Amino acid sequence: MDVIGFWTRSWTSDDSTAVRKLLAPDVEVEWNLDAPVDDEELIQVQHRIAAFAETVTVAGETLAEDGATLVYDLVAPFGTARMVEFLAVVDGRITEVRQVYDVTLIDRYFPGLYEN
Amino acid sequence: MSLPEVHLAGGTCAEALRLVPVALAMREQGLVAPVLLAGGPDPTAVAKTYIACGLAADVTLPASADLGAALRRYDQLWAARTPAAVVVRGDHLGAALAAYWRRVPVMHMDAGRRSGSLVADDADGDRRLLAQVATVHLAAAPLAAMNLLDERVIAGDVLLTGGTAVEAARLLAERARQPIEPRTKRVEAARLLAERTGRPIEPRANRVIVAGVSAEFEEPVRAAMLTVAANQPDLDVFGGLRMPYPERSRLVAAADVVLTDDVDLAEEALAAGRAVLVPGDGGGLTEAIHAGSARQVSAEAGEIVAAMAELLDSRVRRDSMGVAGTPYGDGRAAARIAQATAALLGHGQFPDPMPARPQAGVHH
Repeated sequence: MDVIGFWTRSWTSDDSTAVRKLLAPDVEVEWNLDAPVDDEELIQVQHRIAAFAETVTVAGETLAEDGATLVYDLVAPFGTARMVEFLAVVDGRITEVRQVYDVTLIDRYFPGLYEN
Repeated sequence: MSLPEVHLAGGTCAEALRLVPVALAMREQGLVAPVLLAGGPDPTAVAKTYIACGLAADVTLPASADLGAALRRYDQLWAARTPAAVVVRGDHLGAALAAYWRRVPVMHMDAGRRSGSLVADDADGDRRLLAQVATVHLAAAPLAAMNLLDERVIAGDVLLTGGTAVEAARLLAERARQPIEPRTKRVEAARLLAERTGRPIEPRANRVIVAGVSAEFEEPVRAAMLTVAANQPDLDVFGGLRMPYPERSRLVAAADVVLTDDVDLAEEALAAGRAVLVPGDGGGLTEAIHAGSARQVSAEAGEIVAAMAELLDSRVRRDSMGVAGTPYGDGRAAARIAQATAALLGHGQFPDPMPARPQAGVHH
């Protein structure tokens, strides 16, 4: 199964059910947003991005045997912010997600993204 | 006991030039083992730049045309040979992301540099992302450090070291082969004149302008250079951006004026004490313009011709800009960066930041 492709398609099309299925139960999540993160918070933020963005495109992809690095362009109504995502995959499930956002542009173009 | 390996990732010639003084400082301090990497779209040119500075690349990676390819190359290397830390410079995002993925600390030289443009800028985007994965932000100037703080980077992670262009310029000046030679016709004319007058006359080399601008300013700058060259026959104009090192450094060091909006070329010219004209809004060179070592000029051919003529006609004006020096380093940046890298790895203390430049008319 193309886990990486399925993951990308699932979250960018706001399919939270599929996203949940791909994440391993003990998935480790890290990001550079100014808020604590766990798998549920990750899914919420990805849902908000998918819902608010006009489009989310994969600008770059580097695949390895045990994971991938993805560069996304998050296109909002007033501008585009970039996010880099690192994924580790074991037995068809994602065991590690590390996201690096351009926080300056996220705050500008996706206001309130990670505020509860 | 072997020293911890620190990989210095050069993705362009300008990066390679600035990494060499750091590698030399690391060797001198003897606390870490520097490993020079030649990567990016043209690793051969990067490797040649190391050689021009007297060092050889320890590892030359295959060429990588885009971010994904660069990431893959560095990741493959670091999967097999994981360094204790990685030093990147400028906007070399591929190396920084690969190191971050492998949880290798990233020392970011020239951190916080921004174009200052209000229009979205891809290079600024890469630099901001790089700032998010860097462990220690090594800023070249106070304004760059302020940019980082504005982007909510933790103040304790920012160190004002200066940039290493000053050391690189010094290094290349020591290794420079020959100054600019006068043209054959001038040598012949001087010989004939000496014979006629009976006293020795030294033939003079042509004066030199090095010009290198972004596509946005190419048209007015080309028109201006044609006019300036037509008015002043003893003038040679060189395109500076695509020229390899050490030729570029040799010409910059010999130039009367450097006309550029390219931050790397400008920084090298400032380090060599040359007068710099900056067409456009001068966004990336604010500190140099404030210091008086660079001058902003409107990006219109007529304005550029007038500003250039004023500088070419007056050595005093040129020298007064040159003595203002570069605000992007004090010649000790490489030692600070090497010391900071060793300190991060548990060897010694972090260095003091680069001292503030004295301001004209202010006594300390």
